[in-house]
Amino acid sequence: MEVINSRASLLSNYEVLTLLRDLESDYIAKSKTSVRIKKEEDAAGPSAPKAYDPLEDISENLRTMEVEAIQYLSAEYQPMRAQMPAGITMLVKSLAPYGLNKSEKLQIVNLAPTEPVELYVIVEELEDRLGEKLEDVLTSVRTSLAKEPAAAQQPVSVVAEMEVYQEQVYDEDGQWEQDANDVEFVDAGEGAGIEGDLDVDDE
Amino acid sequence: MFVLSVLKDKIPIHPSRFGVPPEQALINEINKKYANRVLHDVGLCVCVFDIAEAGEGKIRYGDGFLWYTVIFRMTVFRPFPSEVILAKVKSSDQDGIQLSVGFFDDMHVPLIYLPQPSAFDPNERAHFWLPGSEAASAHELLDSPVSERMYIDQGEIMRVRVEMDEFYDDEPGPPKATEGVQVQREARRPPYTITCSIAEQGLGPITWWKSAQAEAMDEG
Repeated sequence: MEVINSRASLLSNYEVLTLLRDLESDYIAKSKTSVRIKKEEDAAGPSAPKAYDPLEDISENLRTMEVEAIQYLSAEYQPMRAQMPAGITMLVKSLAPYGLNKSEKLQIVNLAPTEPVELYVIVEELEDRLGEKLEDVLTSVRTSLAKEPAAAQQPVSVVAEMEVYQEQVYDEDGQWEQDANDVEFVDAGEGAGIEGDLDVDDE
Repeated sequence: MFVLSVLKDKIPIHPSRFGVPPEQALINEINKKYANRVLHDVGLCVCVFDIAEAGEGKIRYGDGFLWYTVIFRMTVFRPFPSEVILAKVKSSDQDGIQLSVGFFDDMHVPLIYLPQPSAFDPNERAHFWLPGSEAASAHELLDSPVSERMYIDQGEIMRVRVEMDEFYDDEPGPPKATEGVQVQREARRPPYTITCSIAEQGLGPITWWKSAQAEAMDEG
């Protein structure tokens, strides 16, 4: 392995969140396929050749990272819930005349300060550099945030969906997850019931 | 907080993955190798951002793998010094406060970077800040009325400034033994630690400054 450039460019939190959400939806799609493939295999019987399972290609580490980072980046104290790509572009453009440097702009986008004290920690020597223009910066930050966090609705449903599919997937594997065993146990219960019915028929 | 790092590596693709489009297979393998791992002097790898360049896959003598030389961009968690980020208080002790951002836990605020005057309350297991107090020693601080203390409780969200980050690359080495008995090795240092500060106006639990703002409004 060779590091060509350890800091090629900076990424805003919103970009990372979008990237991780894409991975997440990709994972959901794959787990759906995986469940379907397994069902088909079960139908074909144990002698059928094993098809390629797309879930095998996703490492545990990546999943941990995805879930934990999405959790952090979409927490309620983060402004990313109310951010939109168009709003961020507009914000960066409107910040151009104030002579802020790159890292300060990045932090304004990441933290979306709406109060002077929040901006104070981001920009060095705030009074000297911005002075009266401080309010303008805060106003442009406020306008860049969506009033109604419409984006916040979507992730919630994605998370809910993910939970459903995770259950299904672990249900199929049933190797390491404790609660997966519970689900299997319930299945066995249903099966036992059917067997019982058959017994009754025999008699 | 996040940066893109350009890395180059030789990635083997197992024959069972030849059916997958090469780009996808490479991304999967790179993620398997790097995701959630700390690279020395680079940071904590999150996932592949994209592949910049990949050569022809070559088969080497000895195995059936296709080896690709790949140049790719990695999303890496590496907040730069002086960056302000939000983090959660994981725990507190006499030596400082441990922070967490969910996917990364080796962050802490040492005593010197706490707002002064402050002290550790062993009963609450939390540090507190006494704004505008003249008290200097920990004893005097602990004698103060509890209602005046501003506690930094566990689970609170703090705005912190990154002061410094350090990488350690401890070699595992052979197990040590004296007189045939294996000696317990001392705890390994985490490979990547971030030192943060809250000793500044506007830093610390976000609720401190939200309420300060509201009070100022009321007075005005």
